[in-house]
Amino acid sequence: MASLTFDALSKSYGANTVISDFSATVDDKEFLVLLGPSGCGKSTMLRMVAGLTDISSGTLKFGDDVVNTLTPKQRNIAFVFQSYALYPHMTVRANIAFPLIMDNFRWWYHLPFVGAVMRSRLLKRPDIKAKIERTAEMLELTDYLQRRPKALSGGQRQRVAVARSIIREPAIYLFDEPLSNLDAKLRMQMRAEISALHARVQKTFVYVTHDQVEAMTMGTRIIVMNEGVVQQYGTPAEIYSAPANEFVARFIGSPPMNIFAATVRDGLLYVGDVPVQNSGGWAASVVALGLQTVSLGVRAEKIGLDSPGGDLLSIEAHTLVVEHLGAETIVGVKTGQVGATVDVGVGASRGLHYARIAGEEQFTTNSGCRITFASDAVHLFDPETGKRLEH
Amino acid sequence: MIGRRNLSIGVRTLLALALVILAGFPVFWMINTAMTPVGDLYANNQRIVPDFSRTLNIFQVLVSDSPFLRWLGNSALVAGGTTMLSLLLACLAAYALSRYKFVGKGLMTFGFFATQMLPEALLIVPLYSMFMTLGLLNELYGLVLVNTAFAMPVAVFLLKSAMDTVPYEIEESARVDGCNALTILQVMFIPLIAPSLAAAAVITFFDGWNEYLFATTFIHDTANWVASTGLASFIGEFTTPLDMVFSGAIVFTIPAAIFFLLMQRKIVAGLTAGSVKG
Ligand SMILES: Nc1ncnc2c1ncn2[C@@H]1O[C@H](COP(=O)(O)OP(=O)(O)O)[C@@H](O)[C@H]1O
Ligand SMILES: [Mg+2]
Repeated sequence: MASLTFDALSKSYGANTVISDFSATVDDKEFLVLLGPSGCGKSTMLRMVAGLTDISSGTLKFGDDVVNTLTPKQRNIAFVFQSYALYPHMTVRANIAFPLIMDNFRWWYHLPFVGAVMRSRLLKRPDIKAKIERTAEMLELTDYLQRRPKALSGGQRQRVAVARSIIREPAIYLFDEPLSNLDAKLRMQMRAEISALHARVQKTFVYVTHDQVEAMTMGTRIIVMNEGVVQQYGTPAEIYSAPANEFVARFIGSPPMNIFAATVRDGLLYVGDVPVQNSGGWAASVVALGLQTVSLGVRAEKIGLDSPGGDLLSIEAHTLVVEHLGAETIVGVKTGQVGATVDVGVGASRGLHYARIAGEEQFTTNSGCRITFASDAVHLFDPETGKRLEH
Repeated sequence: MIGRRNLSIGVRTLLALALVILAGFPVFWMINTAMTPVGDLYANNQRIVPDFSRTLNIFQVLVSDSPFLRWLGNSALVAGGTTMLSLLLACLAAYALSRYKFVGKGLMTFGFFATQMLPEALLIVPLYSMFMTLGLLNELYGLVLVNTAFAMPVAVFLLKSAMDTVPYEIEESARVDGCNALTILQVMFIPLIAPSLAAAAVITFFDGWNEYLFATTFIHDTANWVASTGLASFIGEFTTPLDMVFSGAIVFTIPAAIFFLLMQRKIVAGLTAGSVKG
């Protein structure tokens, strides 16, 4: 049983608080993803779970046991580093076997010279040998067992790192951005492999990434973090369909969710000076919440261009950027007529909204259009706190 | 064009040749002198082309009535002991300096430096009286101790900067796998910094091998002399058998040169490649 309980976990380096009041409970066998932008404290969090970094305050439990003061080894975890941290002077075989060998170390094997002899003897022990072979086979490394890490490709190194972590059958697997050094194609393949590994070993995984695609595709639970604070904890579906705040809304999804800063005027919503057609009902509910301004969130794939009608909300706009990706087209638009905005330098990306349209449709830049979206595609956020408003 | 290129190659070859001659001449002269009868040397009869019929005279020191072989053995003991003790202590110190924060770290680093700033001649009198009290005079291991004191700090700096380049992740990964600090040092650091270790071995070995001042002052027994002292003893008050001195010098150089050649093969960089990143 290795459920994970974070209870008001905090970490400070001097006066600099990196993690504050992190609380969550993760069930056994979950695939938990810690997701957040670079520098938000994901690695620090993971290292606290591993025991590589001291916990400043709060308690961390594996199952019912408080592990705050246990060494990494005592916590029975495996850690896959972003850089893999393979042992460069050892063969792949010795790398994979190392955790097992250390498990079988007596205290006097730590003495000089004795250790070297015992390590090579342990490497030849039949049960250890069999286990190395089985693990290597599982990760298709059998042909590379005699090589050194520097003679391997990036994907193979990644696999050696994974092999080394699973050989000891730890209770919890920890991954720190393990795919960030791989190219896009290999990344996709390794994503599938790690997911399959989770299904196979049936243990708790904690996986750190800044890549929302990895989080959405691999995680069974996601914790979105920003600046050391938990923003939302939920399943991928929950986080996608009901983001807890503007940060989560924009962090998940590519391109990010469009946020329109809207004001209630004359019983309608206005984005800047441009009225939103059919927004009477929305204006009324915003006023009912006691607000005059609101952030209107709409995902790029929920936005249509040039097809107003029925009860769709629509805003006058013009196209600015057109990115043909083949299967789909990303169109960058700004509200208002052509020429209504400054569109050079930094100004070009400010106030830009994105629509994600099927690839067959053709668009030209700098032409008028209408942003349209259905009522049920709208998320409301408090313009000050960024919190989700239920309506 | 081709002419100009040939010319530049020619100039470079000449330059290289000049350097080789400059560096090699003393060695040649040492060998040549060792092969010349001592009478000819003093009779202003020195030959430029050695008399190859006297080649074996290079090793005449070994068959002379001085116990030169024994002195060489003593030198090897002192130099080998200095190397081993220095490297053992330097590895531990360098690891601590590289990876730990502790009170007095700056002071300790300065302390290592300080040993290099003091001239040996200044220390010889206090050291002599200290060694006398401790009964270390006339003992080879006394020489090992004093040589280590001067050689070890250099090794510490060399090894520390090598250890600084070992990625933290490797150490942390080893900790997750269950290594303690001593095992991490043995299993991870020492193999990874092997080239620097070999360089440090060369430096400390030569320190011990070439050392003369302490060896001459602290060792009184002829049987316990090291080769540097023995060699100097050939230079007499009334006669100096120059061919014997040079023969001794050659024989004295050979073990050190062999040790260097052995170590040189290990001083290759690039062991850490492939551990971190792709
Ligand atoms: N050893 C340290 N000393 C001081 N500050 C640190 C240390 N480690 C990390 N930090 C700070 O903690 C913050 C979070 O770092 P990190 O956990 O590595 O972020 P992430 O993995 O999400 O990119 C960063 O602002 C970083 O500067
Ligand atoms: Mg990180």
